[in-house]
Amino acid sequence: MNVFAVIVAAEDPSQSHHWLFPEIGEIVYGSLASLIIFAALYKFGWPAAKKALEARTAGIQKELDDSAAAQVQADADATDIRRALGDIAKERAKLLAEADTQAAAILAEGRARITVEVADMEARATAEVLAARGRIGDELRAEISYLSGVATTDAVRAAMDDRTQQELVDNFIAKVGASR
Amino acid sequence: MSTAQVTAYVVAMFEIASANDAVSAVEDDMFRLARAIESNEQLRAALNDTSLPSDRRQKIVEQLLGGKAHNVTVQLVSMLVGTGHISLLPQVADALVKRASSSKQLEVAEVRSAVALSDAQKARLAEALGKAAGRPVNLKVVVDPNVIGGLVATIGDEVIDDTVRTRLDQVKSRF
Repeated sequence: MNVFAVIVAAEDPSQSHHWLFPEIGEIVYGSLASLIIFAALYKFGWPAAKKALEARTAGIQKELDDSAAAQVQADADATDIRRALGDIAKERAKLLAEADTQAAAILAEGRARITVEVADMEARATAEVLAARGRIGDELRAEISYLSGVATTDAVRAAMDDRTQQELVDNFIAKVGASR
Repeated sequence: MSTAQVTAYVVAMFEIASANDAVSAVEDDMFRLARAIESNEQLRAALNDTSLPSDRRQKIVEQLLGGKAHNVTVQLVSMLVGTGHISLLPQVADALVKRASSSKQLEVAEVRSAVALSDAQKARLAEALGKAAGRPVNLKVVVDPNVIGGLVATIGDEVIDDTVRTRLDQVKSRF
């Protein structure tokens, strides 16, 4: 009889005493073996499993704690960043205010300087206009005087006929002769 | 230097003119020539032009005075041109006139007129100026159109001015 035939024969329900229940011996031996296994598991496996679970719990707790700490740190960092942002905004506002102040001062100074320069230029221009007016007036008077002098001289010279000349000579002689 | 030269020339010319009995003629010629040179820039430049040979300038003088001046005058002026001292002629002429007048106890009276005076007017004028100066005058008349009309007489430091030119200048100064 080969091995296959033995196995088939052993598995054959028709070869057992009951098709559902094992034999009493199998139950006893099986129960004992199960107890031994459970006892061994309880004795040796449970502590290890418990330890592993505790380690797992501790690890999870640690991760939770770390997460909480990280959240606190993140909140603190966020607060710092918000504060820093607030400082930056304040600094920006301060710089802008200073820039505005300086710009206003420069603008005021520039306006004042330009006002002074414009006033100075106006004064100089007025003085130059007055001087030019006076100079032109003087030149005009001199020119008029010269031209009138020339015209008068020409007119008088034209009026000097021989009779007038002789009268002037005679008058001179008479006047000088009568002086002493 | 020029003053000493003028004095030397005057002394020499006066002696030469006296020796030739031509003092009046020479001093009158010299006076008229001096005034002509003063009033004529072209003539003055030609006579003072040292680039022209002196004999050429002497010929100019001879042509200018020929027939109108005493021979002694021509020779004396030629001498001035020849020695290169023609620029001294106005000073020499005035000094010669003064010396000649002094020798005759006369005061030099220079009169500027716009027109030429007649001999009668000159005689009356000399008499009037003599009265004004207190001594007889040696009348020297210069025709100067610039006076326009009337006369101006200079006797020593005294000036009697009754010219139209001066009156016009006075009017102009009021403008």
